[in-house]
Parts: sequence; structure tokens; C-alpha cells
Amino acid sequence: MPEIKVTPLGAGQDVGRSCILVSIGGKNIMLDCGMHMGYNDDRRFPDFSYIIQNGRLTDFLDCVIISHFHLDHCGALPYMSEMVGYDGPIYMTHPTKAICPILLEDFRKITVDKKGETNFFTSQMIKDCMKKVVPLNLHQTVQVDDELEIKAYYAGHVLGAAMVHIKVGSESVVYTGDYNMTPDRHLGAAWIDKCRPDILISESTYATTIRDSKRCRERDFLKKVHETIERGGKVLIPVFALGRAQELCILLETFWERMNLKAPIYFSTGLTEKANHYYKLFITWTNQKIRKTFVQRNMFEFKHIKAFDRSYADNPGPMVVFATPGMLHAGQSLQIFKKWAGNEKNMVIMPGYCVQGTIGHKILNGQRKLEVEGRATLDVKLQVEYMSFSAHADAKGIMQLIRMAEPRNMLLVHGEAVKMEFLKGKIEQEFSIDCYMPANGETATVTTNPSVPVDISLNLLKREMALGGSLPDPKKPRSMHGTLIMKDNSLKLVSSEQALKELGLNEHQLRFTCRVQLQDPHSDSDTLHRIYTHLKSVLKGYTTQHLPDGTVIVESIVIKVSSTPEDANTKVILLSWSYQDEDLGSFLSALLKKGLPSGLC
Amino acid sequence: MEETEFADVLDEWFIETLKTYKDLYVYQLENPTQVIEWTSEKNICVAGNSLSKSEILELHLPQRLFAQEIKGLCTERDFKVVRGGFTDGPVCCLVHVPGTRCAVTNDGLTSDLQVWDLGSDDRDVIRRTGGIRGSRNVAGSGSRIAAQPSSQPQVLHGAWSSDVQLSNVTSGQTLYKLGPTSADPLTSLQFVSNCVFLASCCNGNIYIADTRTSAAPQLSPPLQSSPCDSVLWWADASSGLEPCCCRVIRLSSSGHATVSDLRNQKEAVSQAQLNIKTRCCCLNHVRVSWAPALDNCVAVSGFDGAVQIYNTSCWGTALLEAQPLFQHCGHAIALRSNDVPVCITSHVWHPERPRTLLSAASDGSVHVWDWVDS
Repeated sequence: MPEIKVTPLGAGQDVGRSCILVSIGGKNIMLDCGMHMGYNDDRRFPDFSYIIQNGRLTDFLDCVIISHFHLDHCGALPYMSEMVGYDGPIYMTHPTKAICPILLEDFRKITVDKKGETNFFTSQMIKDCMKKVVPLNLHQTVQVDDELEIKAYYAGHVLGAAMVHIKVGSESVVYTGDYNMTPDRHLGAAWIDKCRPDILISESTYATTIRDSKRCRERDFLKKVHETIERGGKVLIPVFALGRAQELCILLETFWERMNLKAPIYFSTGLTEKANHYYKLFITWTNQKIRKTFVQRNMFEFKHIKAFDRSYADNPGPMVVFATPGMLHAGQSLQIFKKWAGNEKNMVIMPGYCVQGTIGHKILNGQRKLEVEGRATLDVKLQVEYMSFSAHADAKGIMQLIRMAEPRNMLLVHGEAVKMEFLKGKIEQEFSIDCYMPANGETATVTTNPSVPVDISLNLLKREMALGGSLPDPKKPRSMHGTLIMKDNSLKLVSSEQALKELGLNEHQLRFTCRVQLQDPHSDSDTLHRIYTHLKSVLKGYTTQHLPDGTVIVESIVIKVSSTPEDANTKVILLSWSYQDEDLGSFLSALLKKGLPSGLC
Repeated sequence: MEETEFADVLDEWFIETLKTYKDLYVYQLENPTQVIEWTSEKNICVAGNSLSKSEILELHLPQRLFAQEIKGLCTERDFKVVRGGFTDGPVCCLVHVPGTRCAVTNDGLTSDLQVWDLGSDDRDVIRRTGGIRGSRNVAGSGSRIAAQPSSQPQVLHGAWSSDVQLSNVTSGQTLYKLGPTSADPLTSLQFVSNCVFLASCCNGNIYIADTRTSAAPQLSPPLQSSPCDSVLWWADASSGLEPCCCRVIRLSSSGHATVSDLRNQKEAVSQAQLNIKTRCCCLNHVRVSWAPALDNCVAVSGFDGAVQIYNTSCWGTALLEAQPLFQHCGHAIALRSNDVPVCITSHVWHPERPRTLLSAASDGSVHVWDWVDS
């Protein structure tokens, strides 16, 4: 049976990274290649030994697809391509291709320089890895090879995030990556057409969550900023150059305008240039509102937000500063943090995940005393706030997506199947589709029912259409006889004669003969006639004939009667039929074995 | 209303809430719920009300709501769906039997009850385990349910004052029947102690009875007979205290509210005319409830798209207009012109946090809010 196999790589119940293997139509695809941020050892990498114990992966994978630039989806990519070894194509959208290397390099620096790790990829490896990347445009079908094609769809979530449609022949799979179904201030909502994939692969956490609205999270952010400003404190917001920073700026600008606030808001210059550059490149990835704003004016010409100068950090009074890098591990944001950490009136708002080893990670874990260069201790007295603005879908959203795509099967990763009976039941009930939940390292096999296109010879078609008196009913399947020839990757259906001709074979006829004994005190010809009458009444709808040459014919079946030499009343009925009438022949011989009914004339 | 205007109105309201709410969480369920019921310190049950098939969900409240000192470090603001089950019809009433993992529901169409096992840690399915027959099947009238706060899994239920009975949840056995009363449709059933309960009727009558005796219940008619027969009444008794300190609040559909002592129902301790404008097409979801942790405060909802909080200690004996202490309007904040008006279908107070409430509305929204006393 044709089937698609899906295996989420990873061990046990860990949900920290995404790396899924799909085998479809003889092709092997790796979906995402994430790093597990919770581990410091080899467990942070996906376990590629599932694919091959030792050696390069190139021969075993047809392609790798990365859904977006978050480290839990692409963090292990350079390790996979350069340290384990893979030379095939790596597909991702343009923004992902632009942003990935920056994040990977940051991550590498922190891990190697700060933490002194050795078994890690190098800067050169990141560069070499990115050389293998083939960028994707939205809604554009890309032929990976003759049989495998992929297409990216808008996923929302972060700049450049995509859902991917993978097709081989008539089997297909859609992988959602991370997505959201409600638009926010700078990104639209995920969208996909009714592509009816055999499997839709998504995260089980979506289905078991009901998300607090984006506006409430924003409200929380504004409240914290406002409270700090009101008491004369300073707010530091460490950001990565793209995405979140712009969104928060727009939010603060709106708020400052409405509330007529006077405290200054600053944005590091480095951020502005980079951000503008990327936004110009990827304007189609943002939502309608942003595009309109961008067209009208420069992205960062805010009324209330100005460029930052490092000397401003010492200015008295309240202020808000957006500075890089996002995890407080170096640079300007760390400098400012050191200056402001000692004052409890101040606040630092971390808008995203921080990698282990960074100051950001430490303070988010409650550390209030930090070691800085020169063995000095920094007392963390300022308020630390962790806020997540990531747009993710939830239980309602996943149902909406299933309605949009209409998959034939659903597959959820990173859940505990034992604990997801309700969810499975819900999806099965509402959509009448199966829901698979493979554990990490476990393979889910989904049987598909692909349609196989076959050409039919015109002669055969005409012949079949001529049979049967009434008009053919397009809804009623009819069985037909023909021969399927598979030649040079094409399939065609031809009549038996044509097949024999093409193959240069002679046709053979197969006839069966059967003798049935019967007691009948009549002459041979009368017995034959009795048999004829009997069969005619039983076999309604068949052509039963009594021929003058002493035979009864039913379709191709020939029936003759003779008597045994010992006893004239013991008749021997000879039945003979061709292979095509096997069923009828067997039926008649069984029928006649029962004898003739009395009362026949 | 245009998309941008809609967004602006929402933004305005959210900015206002910075001063008026300490905490605010806004969720959208797939289907609207008429019930919010605490099943543990951190879990609630909600359920759909579609005629053909609904879901019962047990939700775990967001961690951030509970995080105290390290609140800033907790970013988890979402509900987790921990368990779910399927019902064959709508769920109009859901009551958790305290001390068990058992819940009892009624579909609002008949007076029969369904009994459910809410499951445990290793399974996520809520299963139907049985049913309890109501004593009268009157179409279109559902039963009210109250769980007895004792060690026995028993519930009090009935659709009319004349068919109130106490049944054992596991065996379905009837242990007690409310003595002779007139047959009035009920708006609520409530235990005020282990055995003493109130059966409040929509015509304003309140029956006070004790499950230990078969004596006739005490009838307490509404304190002021209303000139108009079509006035409906709801009531709530404050709980947690001795029955001697228990107070009863009654509210009519014309907005007349009275507070009286449970033991002396003939006199009103205080009263007020509430500012209620009915915007909902039906008043099936009206709820008035005493705050468990905030003295003298009551919450009122079900007339429109807001939840109103009143401080009854400001009320006097004369019937004067009272203004709410606080109004939560978040469910109906920005309505587009062709939208159906949103109505609050349910609200509950948090059992310990004085100003935290959960409210649900007809558009499927569920809010968790903690308001600021100005």
C-alpha cells in the first residue's frame, strides 16, 4: 500500500526543537533542523543516527526545508550540513535566508566565546551552510527534482515564516512550522488554499492551548513601561534587530501619542539602518497596514522615537531605550544594563527567549547577582520582566487551518499521545480524518490512497462503451476487461488482443469441462429439453438457447446430455465453458448436481 | 465599522484599562460557553451549548495569574486545555461535586442530569458515567443544580420548586424531596450550609429548607410585590459564613435589588435601584453573586454585555439609584453595526483573590480580570 512515513527526531518527550523526517513517494525530506536550547551537550542536536549511523546525509536526503529563523527550527543546520555532512539543497524563504546567518552567528559567539564550548560549528561553517540555500518565494512551485516539488505559504508568526507544501506524484504533505491565525500589528495571518494534502503536520501544543489575545500582552507591556516612567525610572528593552522591535516601537508611538507622554524613547542607530534595509527587502512579508505606512514614510520616522547616543544613558529622568543585542550578552544593551541595573526604579523587559550563558538567561531565571568582567559583582535591583510576543496559533486556530487545507490525515508532533485522546477524538469527529501522534523517534505510517493516472486506448474505450444496452451511468463504476501495460514510466490500458499483439504472444483459450450425473427417466433429448426449461427459468437475464444440434447454450457454456451405457436413466450432463465464464459455469454445474426439480414438463 | 476604526476603538479601551485593571486576559473559545465552574484551585470547566453536540473542556488557568513574587518572570498567559469530553447536546448548567473528580450537567431542555468523570492526570478524556432522572420532564425548562458541600457526592436539582430533590450522584437514588411548594420555575438552587438550602424562583419566591427534615420549607416572598407580573427574580446567598450571618440578595429584571438577612427575610437590610438596561434577547443567563473575598460586593451580569460590581454597603433602606463600583465592558467594546449584541452568559468570582473574576459572553469570549478599586 502506498504510504507516507513521518518521524519527529528527538528523544523522549522533549519539545525544545523541531526536526521532522518525511518519506514520501521514495523521497526523503528533512523539515526544520532545530537546536534544543535546554541542553549543553550533544542532546541539543537532533539525533541523525536515525537516518544513518555514521557518515554523510547527502545520499539519504533529497532536500532540507527550514520554516523560519528561530533557533529551535534552524539552530542545528550548520552542524547538520557541515559537521555531519549534507551537500544537497536547503530551502527557505528569502527573509529566513537573510536573517538565519545573523542569528546563528550570534548564537555561535555566545556558545563558543562566552561558554567556551568546543564541539560547535564555526563562522565558516555557517557561511558554507548558507551557500547551499535555495531561496523560496511564496506560492511558487519549485521542482526539487523530476518528481519532488515544494511550495511555500505565508505563516505569519515572524518575518519570513512559511508553511510548506510538499508533493511527489499525487501524494502530498503540508508542514506548518510555527504559524498564527490572527493578524497582528506587523504581520498578517497564515493562509493556505484547499490543497487537500494527505497529511497536515503541526504542533500539538497549538491544539491544547487557548491563547490570550495579543492586545492583552501589549497592554501588559504598556502598563509596565508606563508604571516605570511614572516613577521616574528607565526602561531597557534589548531587542534583536528585526521583527519584534518594530512592532513594539509602533505600539509605544501610538501610546505616547494618545497619552501625550513626554519621556523620551530611543532606538539604537545600528538597529534603524539594518531594520530599514531588511524591511525594504521584505515588505511583501508584512501586513497591509505596515506596507501602507512604509510607503508613505520611512519606517523609523517616529514622532516620539529618536536615535540613541550612548551618552544619553547617563541622562537623569525617565526614558525608554531599545538596544541590541537581544539577550544582553554583549554590546550596547549590556552596557546600558550595567549602568541601570542598580536602581530599583528601573526596568528591563526581555521580549524573547534568551540562550543559556547570556545575562538575559540568568536574570530571567531569577539571578539577582551577576559576575561581570573584572570579577566585579553586579547587583540586579531593577525590575525584570519577561514578555512573550510571539504569535502562535491555538486550539481555535488549528481547527481553522484544518478547515482551510482539508487534509486527509492530521499529524501532531511534540505531544504525549497517551494524554491526547480527547484531541484525537475531536479531530476525528469533526473532520472524519485520522489523527496521528508519533512520539519523538517514533515513525507514523500513513496509508494514502493516491490516484494513479492511466491512459486508455481509444479502441478499448469505444468497445466498453458499446457494451451494455442502457446509457452508462457516470456515477456507477463498471468493471471492464483490459490489460495494464507499464512502459517507460507511463501506464496504459489496452484490450487483451492489442496487448498480445504488442507483446508478440499468441492468445490461448482455456476451456473447462465438467460431467454431472443425473437420474432422469426420459430420453436424452427430453432430458436436455428439461434442463433447458429449468435453466431458462433460473437464469433470467442470460441468453439460454436450445440449439437444433442437441446442445443447450448459456453464454459460452455448452451443455450436452448422454446416457450411460449401463442404465438409460442415468444421464451424464457434459458442461463445457471458457475461462471467461468460470463463475457461471461453476454455478451451473453446482445447480445441475442438485438434480432437476419435479414438475418440469 | 471599518477595520481600522474597530482596531482603534479596541486600542482606546485597552489603553483605558491600564489604569482600571491590574490584570486582564482575553480569550476566544471556539464555541460560546454558558458555564464557568471551578473544579480545583487552578482549573475551570467550560462547555458548549450547541443543540447537536458540544464539548466540555477543563482548562488550567494561566500560570502568570498565580505567580506572586516572580510574576515578572512568568510569561505564560494562556489557558491550557487539560481535559475534554463530548456531550450529545447543549450544556446549560455544570456543577462540580466538591472533593471528587465528578461533575453534573443539565442540557436546559429536560430536567434529567448527566454525570461525568473529569478524569485524572494520566488521561485527558472527560467521560459520561451515568445520569440522574429529573422528576418531571417539561420541555424547554432545564434544571438548576447545587452540589452539597459534604463528604457524600450528592446534588440537589430541579427545574421547578415542586420537583426539587437531592440525589446520590453514583447511585441516582433520591435521598430527599422538597416538601410542598407551589410550582414555580427556579432560577437557582444554593446550599448555605451542609444541609440548608435556598430554592429561588423566578417569581421572587425563595424557599428555605433543610435536607435533614421533611418539614415544609419556609417561604419568603419578594419583599415588594411588583406591579408587573412579568418581572423575573434572581437571588444569591453569601456563603462561607455561618448561616446566621448569611445574607441574601434578590434582584428583579426591573433592576430592583434588596439585601436581607437569611433568618429574617421579611425586612430588607438595604435596597437599591440598579442601572440595568436589558439588551439581551432573553434573560436566561442572568447571574447575581456575592464576592467570596470582598465584603459586601456583588456582581451582576446577563442583561447586556457588561458585568457590574456593586458595593451593597453604600445602599440604604430607601430605594435609591445605585451606581456600580465597577463595570467590565470588555466583551462588548467594539461592535460592528451588523453584529448581534453580545451578552454575558456567565461569570464567577475567584474564590480567594478579592477582585478577580472570570466572565464569558455569547460571542465565545472569556475574560479573566482583576480590577482596580479607584
